[in-house]
Order: sequence, then C-alpha cells, then structure tokens
Amino acid sequence: MSSIIEGPGPVAETLAGEGGEPHGIGEPVPSTDALPKAQGTYPYAADLWAEGLLWAAVLRSPYPHARIVRIDTSDAVAMPGVRAVVTHEDVPGDAMHGRKVADRPVFAHDVVRHHGEPIAAVAADHPDTARLAAAAILVEYEVREPVTDPEKAFAAEPLHPDGNLIRHIPLQFGDPEAVGEVVVEGLYRVGRQDPAPIGAEAGLAVPRPDGGVELYVASTDPHADRDIAAACFGLEADRVKVVVTGVPGAMGDREDSGIQLPLGLLALRTGCPVKFVATREESFLGHAHRHPTLLRYRHHADADGRLVKVEAQVLLDAGAYADASSDALAAAVAFAAGPYVVPHVFVEGWVVRTNNPPSGHVRGEGAVQVCAAYEGQMDKLAAKLGLDPAEIRMRNVLATGDLLPTGQTVTCPAPVGELLKAVRDADLPPLPDGDDESQWLLPGGVSGAGEPGAVRRGVGYALGMVHLLGAEGADEVSTATVRIHDGRATVICAAVETGQGFTTLARQIVQEVLGVDDVRVLPSDTDQPPAGPAARGRHTWVSGGAVERAAKMVRTQLLQPLAAKFGMSVELLTIADGKITSYDGVLSTTVAETLDGKELWATAQCRPHPTDRLDDTGQGDAFVGLTFCAVRAVVDVDIELGAVRVVELAVAQDVGRVLNPRQLAARIEAGVTQGLGLALMEDLRAPRGIVKRPNLTGYPLPTALDAPDVRIVKLVEERDVVAPFGAKAVSAVPVVTSPAAIAAAVRAATGRPVNRLPIRPQAAVVKPPTP
Amino acid sequence: MSTYARQEAANVTLPSSLDEAVAALADMPSAVPVAGGTDLMASVNSGLLRPAALVGLGRISEIRGWQYADGAALLGAGLTHARMGRPDFAALIPALAAAARSAGPPQIRNAGTLGGNIASAAPTGDALPVLAALEASVILAGPDGDRELPVSHLLTGMDPLRPGELLAFVRIPLLHAPQTFLKATGRTGPGRAVASVALVVDPARRQVRCSVGAVAPVPLRPLEAEQWVAGLIDWDGERTLAPEACTAFGEYVAAACIPDQPGVELPPAAVQLRRTVAALSRRALGRALA
Ligand SMILES: Cc1cc2nc3c(=O)[nH]c(=O)nc-3n(C[C@H](O)[C@H](O)[C@H](O)COP(=O)(O)OP(=O)(O)OC[C@H]3O[C@@H](n4cnc5c(N)ncnc54)[C@H](O)[C@@H]3O)c2cc1C
Repeated sequence: MSSIIEGPGPVAETLAGEGGEPHGIGEPVPSTDALPKAQGTYPYAADLWAEGLLWAAVLRSPYPHARIVRIDTSDAVAMPGVRAVVTHEDVPGDAMHGRKVADRPVFAHDVVRHHGEPIAAVAADHPDTARLAAAAILVEYEVREPVTDPEKAFAAEPLHPDGNLIRHIPLQFGDPEAVGEVVVEGLYRVGRQDPAPIGAEAGLAVPRPDGGVELYVASTDPHADRDIAAACFGLEADRVKVVVTGVPGAMGDREDSGIQLPLGLLALRTGCPVKFVATREESFLGHAHRHPTLLRYRHHADADGRLVKVEAQVLLDAGAYADASSDALAAAVAFAAGPYVVPHVFVEGWVVRTNNPPSGHVRGEGAVQVCAAYEGQMDKLAAKLGLDPAEIRMRNVLATGDLLPTGQTVTCPAPVGELLKAVRDADLPPLPDGDDESQWLLPGGVSGAGEPGAVRRGVGYALGMVHLLGAEGADEVSTATVRIHDGRATVICAAVETGQGFTTLARQIVQEVLGVDDVRVLPSDTDQPPAGPAARGRHTWVSGGAVERAAKMVRTQLLQPLAAKFGMSVELLTIADGKITSYDGVLSTTVAETLDGKELWATAQCRPHPTDRLDDTGQGDAFVGLTFCAVRAVVDVDIELGAVRVVELAVAQDVGRVLNPRQLAARIEAGVTQGLGLALMEDLRAPRGIVKRPNLTGYPLPTALDAPDVRIVKLVEERDVVAPFGAKAVSAVPVVTSPAAIAAAVRAATGRPVNRLPIRPQAAVVKPPTP
Repeated sequence: MSTYARQEAANVTLPSSLDEAVAALADMPSAVPVAGGTDLMASVNSGLLRPAALVGLGRISEIRGWQYADGAALLGAGLTHARMGRPDFAALIPALAAAARSAGPPQIRNAGTLGGNIASAAPTGDALPVLAALEASVILAGPDGDRELPVSHLLTGMDPLRPGELLAFVRIPLLHAPQTFLKATGRTGPGRAVASVALVVDPARRQVRCSVGAVAPVPLRPLEAEQWVAGLIDWDGERTLAPEACTAFGEYVAAACIPDQPGVELPPAAVQLRRTVAALSRRALGRALA
C-alpha cells in the first residue's frame, strides 16, 4: 500500500518539511511511541507482571441460548493450585451492568443468552491450571432454541426481562404522500465485522491494602469502566482505580467487561494480583461487534435524478444485550438518506435482541450500514435514469444550511459537492501494461489463478457522513491539566491514547500555545478527572479543546506579570522556541527565565453545546458536529472466480483543519483499510448463534497485498467554528464511506446488484449468458 | 518482563543427521518431530497439543536441499517454501514452486517446509495436489530402515507414517513437460486455498494428470476427465486444444470433484465451488498447452 497526498496545498508543503524537528499545530509531529511499538518494546497489558500473581480463566457458555439448571464448582475448587472460583453468587454489588442500560449480568445465572457468555471464573497459580479448572466446572444446561433471525425477534419469547425491542425510531420528515417519477427498491445486508484488535484483551488486577482494587487494562473509557466495576464489586468508586496500559488496537469501546469484572472479583477474593490474557477465540467471543443489519429501501426521484423521497426500514441486530445499540440506531436512522438533500424521508429503525454475538460501539456504527444501502440505491437510480453515478450524486449533495431528516440544520461546513468533485476529477489509475503481466497484481494475488482476460475494471463512488462526539444529549465533557516547570510542560488528561494520536496532538497543542518543545503527556488513570471514551472523534475535539484552554491559562499566568511590568497587554507578547518576545522586539527573554524556578498549573474543561434526544418521530438537534467524505474506488474483478482486488481508493475528506498531516494520512489509510475489510472479507459467522472459526484464519483481515493504493486527493480545510482549532476528527468517516464505494465499483465492473457486505465471490461472478 | 510464566523447558533435541533424528525418536517414543513449526506450534500455543519432547529437524542439512537421482529429483523434506519458490527450483519443478510461492505470507514461507506440509496433510496443503499430479513418492526413514511409497498412499492413510518414522525425501520424476498450479483464495492477500488445481501435460506417457486440492480431505484425481482430454490432444502434432475443449474439461473436472447429489439441488456454496474448480482447471490446462 502506498499513500499519496497531492499538492499543492498546506499538506504537501508541511510534509516536505523545513528541516528540524517538527512541532506545533499543523506539523507532521511524529508520535513518541512509534519507535518502541515498531521495536516491540512498548508495554501492553499482556506484558504486565506482579510478584505472586495468579492466573484467571473464564468459563464461557458453549450455547447461544440455554437455561442454567445447576452450576457445580466443587471439582474445580478441589483442584490443586486453584485459589478461587467465582460465579454469579459471588458478586457482592450490582449483579447487572451495561454501558447505557444495566441489562447484562456479570456472570450468567439463570439463562445464557449468547455463545461465549461468562458463567464463572477461576484464579489459579498457573494459566493451564486455571483453564483446566474452568473446564472442570459442571454446568447443567437446558438448551433452548436460539433466536438468531432479528426479523423473528419481534414475535419471539422475550430473551430478557427488558423485552426484545431495544429501541424503535419511526423517523418522519416531510410528506408521506410524496412520490417521484422514478422509484427504485433494494434490500441490503451488512455482516458482522469484528474490531479484531491486534492485541487480544488482557489485564492485571491488584488488590489494595484499603480493600479496594486496581485494574490495569487497555480501557478506552477508564472512568466508565471504573464505575461499572465499582458497582459490581460493591465498592465506592474511589476505591477502584483503572490504570490504562498500552492499547493494542481499538475500534470503539475496547475491553470486555466479561474479563475486567471477573479479574477484579478474583483479586478481591484471593487478596493476590490476578492476571488474564484472552486467547484469540475468547476475544472474538467476548467483545462487541458491528451490528449486522438488514435494510430495505425505496428511493423516489424526479426525471432529472433529484431525490424526492426516501423510505427505509433498518433493522439492527444487537445480540443479547443493549450496550451502545441505541446510539447506533440513532445514527443509522438520522443518516439513512446520506449526505443528500431529500425533502421527504420516512425511516423505521429498530434494534432488537437476539442470541447472536453481542453488538456494540464499533467505529462508524449505524452510519456504515446505511451508507452501503443508500449508495446502492443511488447507483440503482443512476442506472434507471441513464445518468452517470457521480452526476446523480452531484445533483443531490447536501450543503451547509440544509436540513437533515431529523430536522436539524447543518450549521457546520458541509463541502460535500467539493469532495465529490475532487474524487470524480482525479486521474484514474493507469491500466496495467498488457504486455507485462508480472506488473499486474491480479485479483487473487501474486501467484493466484488470475487471468487478465477474465478481469473487469470498475469505478464506483460513495459519499458518507458521521457525527462527531456522542449524540442525543450525551454530556461530552473532558478535563485536562497543563503544568510547566523548568522549560518542560506536562499534560495530565485521562483521554486514552488508543493509537489515534491523542498524545501527539496534546503535545502539538502545548507546543503551539506555550512555545516549549519538550512536552510530556502522562499515562491515563482514573485518579485524573474524567475525559470520557475514546470514540467518535471526541478527544480531538473535547480533550484537545481542554488541553488548549489549560495551556492558554498557563500562558496567561506566565505572561501576565511580564506584561504588567512592561505595561503592555499579554496579546502583544509571543512565545516561540522557548523565547518570549514583544511585538516590537523590545522585550526578549526566555520562558525559563520568566518562570524563575516556579511551577505553573492550570486545569480546564471543554464542554460542547448540548444536544437533544431524537423524539418520537426521529426529530431533534441530536448532533454537535458532522463530517463528510467522498471515496472513489477502482477495482479489478475476476468475473469467473469472483475475486476482487481494490486497485485504488481516492479519498476527499472534510477535515476542518489539518492538525497533523502525518497522523491524518495514517488515520485515513487505516480507516479505508478497515472499510475494505468489511467490504471484502470480514464477517464473523455465527450460524444458529454459534460463532464459527473465531480465529484469524477463519476471520481474515486485510493484509498489505489486499490494501489498495490510498490516494488522498483533497482535504477540505473549512474551519468548523464551534470546534477547537476548527478541526474535525478524521478516523471514522473513511470507514463509513469506503465499503459503499467498493461495492459500487464491483457493481460497475460486474453489473451484479452487490447488495451484501462483505461481497462474497459468488456475488461478483458474472454468469455466462444462458443460450 | 515476560508475558507468560516460563513453560517448563521442554525437552528439545536438535539432531544434525537423519540417523541421529531417527535414533532420538526411538529413544523417546513420545517425542514429536518439528520442522518449521508453522503448523505444530499453532497447536501447541492453543493448548491442543502438549508434546513431552521435541525433535527439531532444522539442523539436518541433508534434508534441506535436493539432488538428482535417475531422472528424478530427490527433494529433502526440510526444504522451505521460500527455497522452493526461488527461480532455480522453479526451473526444475514449476508447479511445486508456484504452490510454494502461494503458501501463506513470507514469514510462513521462510519457516514452513515441504515435509511439514505433507505430514500435516491439511486439505488446504498447497504442495499436496502438485505431488499427486506429479505422482511423487515419499521416502521414509525409520528404525527399521527406509521405505518408499506413493505420496497418495500416505495422504489417504492407506499406509500412514509409522511410529518413529520420519519423512526424509520426496521423489519427483523430472518431466520435461508443462505443469501448472493455480489456487483460488477469494482474496488478493495470502490465504488458504478455497480450491486449487495442479495439472501436468506429460507427452512421454501421453497423459494429462490433474489434481484438485482443498475441496476434499485429500487431493482428488479426476481420472476420467484426464483420459478424456488426453484423447483429444494430438500428441504428435501441435498439442493444442480448442477453447471449447478446455471449457468442457473444466466442467468435467468440476463435476467429478463436486458431484451432483441425486434428487437434491446443489447448495449455492457448492455451485460456486464447482464454478471455481471449472475455471481453475480450464485455465490450468490452457496455460499448460499455451
Ligand atoms: C499464517 C499461516 C498461513 C499458512 N498458509 C498456508 C498456505 O497458504 N498453504 C499451505 O499449504 N499451508 C499453509 N500454512 C500451513 C503450514 O505453514 C504449512 O503446512 C507448512 O508446510 C508446514 O511445515 P512446517 O515445517 O512448519 O511443519 P511443522 O509445523 O514443523 O510440522 C507439522 C507437522 O508435521 C510433522 N513433521 C514435520 N516435518 C516432518 C518430517 N520430516 N517427518 C515427519 N513428520 C514431520 C510435525 O510433527 C507436525 O505434526 C500456513 C500456516 C500459517 C501459520
């Protein structure tokens, strides 16, 4: 894979560099953990160690749905080396927990609702002993018929006391009687993408002398995880501390409470440190996946291809527990028509409970699934009207000032047309030189069976959108502290560095504001004030905003005495490279000299304006910010074997402002590659509720050979005035948009409907015409 | 800091000759041979296998290369996929080189061996259909001396590896004849075969030999299809076939490997697999005759 950023423009210029270590906003400041990560010395949770630690193992349900008749732990308890066995009977605090709704038991007691649900946990002096002991726990099940078809969940026996319907949003916008001259219908399905973090879940729990416990885990939302843990342990929140270790990959809410909670319980029970490292299988079984989704659409347009009405039914499969499903549904419903102007929109959205693997927050949730569907519809309309697929999209693009189907006015920059134009007008990648087949990486791979004669090239477009920050009234606050001492600044903020680059951004902000290059960002834990989850671009916005404010407060504290002494205002002083100078050059001193050994501290918060919950008809100002992206996919398809190779993805994105061109390019590449995985190969299969082949052979991820050339053709830098620095977070929207673009390109190459993700080879085969 | 409690240092022997290796296995009947470890260690790491002792084959230089013997190549079982993928080997046995180049990512090819591929006998083992099409035989070294048997006897379990026996060499007749190996994985990056086809056009015996991998537990030989297409070839002339004949051959092979079940319609996955095998066989034949 290679990435090309095209100039001219600020990005190209800054990438070229002017020599010297880059620093400050807009510069390609490298991340400090890049080198230790590349060298394999960066510590992750699985690397933790404590003297005298015990090993935990979790017993998980082999059935997707069963009644538990009896649990007998006596054989396990009697095994030499076993120090504790815990079940639902040993949970001192709340038996139920959950991120939004407390509907999930710590350990299943009367029923199991999904394959892999935790039932008991063991601590022993050796990992093998723990595993064997877990296997020795006798559980008598009365197996029940699993509900695995979300369409049948409505009428099925309730799987949970809360019922099977987790949320229903009937969005109504405009006139239900409106009709268009052309109508197209489609049925779309999106599979179950797993976040598949490169490092599986792991953790260490250490009991504290005060009766509390410390959890060392790769949490992406330490305070929420702490609160859930404290409630389950029956402890006050301040007696549980979550310490964030290196995060080996996160696509949303990382970490599985089915691991953190048993770990803490076992540490409290035994008084010893307890460590757990999930196998890849357990990782697949335990954590939350992307919602498998079924979508039915009907698009109405006039004869010129202008959208008149969109009707949709969107059904999300939540698995057994609610988790973040209601958020995913809100995004799916609100963005069901995409970044297009549609006068009349009617969407029925449901998210239901089943006995399938649990779904939750995975980057771009809700928005990804609908993007695949509404873009499929746009291609259908184009075909029906004989219009170019880019042209029909261009005739309908949303812009600032337009209304979303939720009734919310788009107030932020929405340069959708400009993005589409950029990818449409970009040069197409050259066709391979027919004579030299070795230069042509055919679908099917390096020494695969590809045959140039059977390869068709296709080009497809997609436009995607996501919201930034939590929606529907979430309190998206973050707090940060900045300290300066001895010419070095320190940032204390519980915003977790998940690989998204927050610590680098925090350093850049402080470098920019305080003019010092040496900035450290301390590791996160729950002794710090909360910063909220690392999701939905929050930390770029609220934690970045809090760091900026705190740094500015320190700046004022630093400069105020100086300004007063020289009778000028603080605004007339600048700090750069550790030096303070006045506008007229008369005053020139250093930061160190001005500090004179003192330490300056400031703590600040950033809290964006509040939002509303979507009402009974799906209306409300639910979102703080929006961001958009256009992707043009070029694919080669072997139409006999159905093998697809994505040749190139051209991306144009609405970024507000480029804060770090190096990180930005990396985030876009990572996002489109994750999108490619969803488009072509990633689907955790669970026929009849049983997860099949939960390993990285059965669940292939894109490799370097699968990943296409990613061409960032345009970054639109129109500042979002309500966001710190005017910047928009960049990670999620490429994930949302690229699968739909790839599907569109395969559609163009094969003429097949391609209404299902991932695209299976049989869906990309062109059958020979029947004679 | 280490991740896991140190495993009790397993008993590992590293013999430097085949004789020593056979002796080591005779001494410790519970020991398991390990070559590249790319299959074995996955089972160990997942807890499926806890070998009491290991006999490492990596230092036995006599099985890491190849030699010629009476019109055949004698390949050491310790040849890695990476080595077999190199041009000098590809000039010798092109189909096996193609299979080796397609077996997993580079890290796996650097470690994984021909012997391990045969001993593991996975349905998706890429070397296996090639060996079947080339009618290779294996030479086993054991406490009672060597014995040689057709690779198919080993793979089908007709004549399995006996306790204490090691795969030492693979004998492959050197055919100055076109041969191909094609593999479909459904993706562009490295992957296990959904289906693979190895095909040899052997003018000396006026045979076409074809073997289909990954669709059954062992490679399948569609003998009738082979004979049918061999009968169409003008062996004394141009040795070309009309495209329709290649297509028909593909269909023939596919139907033989994924047969109709009387009274039931083929499920969509089987239809797709059949289509894939047909395309691979047709392409393989076309390339071999080109
Ligand atoms: C990520 C990954 C991708 C892979 N992709 C492919 C692929 O695309 N195609 C493919 O074919 N395979 C693939 N494999 C499987 C594997 O790499 C190959 O089968 C390889 O050839 C095994 O060789 P090895 O030397 O590593 O065997 P080992 O793991 O060392 O041994 C495997 C088995 O063979 C036995 N054994 C090894 N050598 C001998 C001997 N000389 N005599 C007797 N017994 C012996 C061992 O005891 C063990 O039971 C993949 C594996 C991984 C991990």
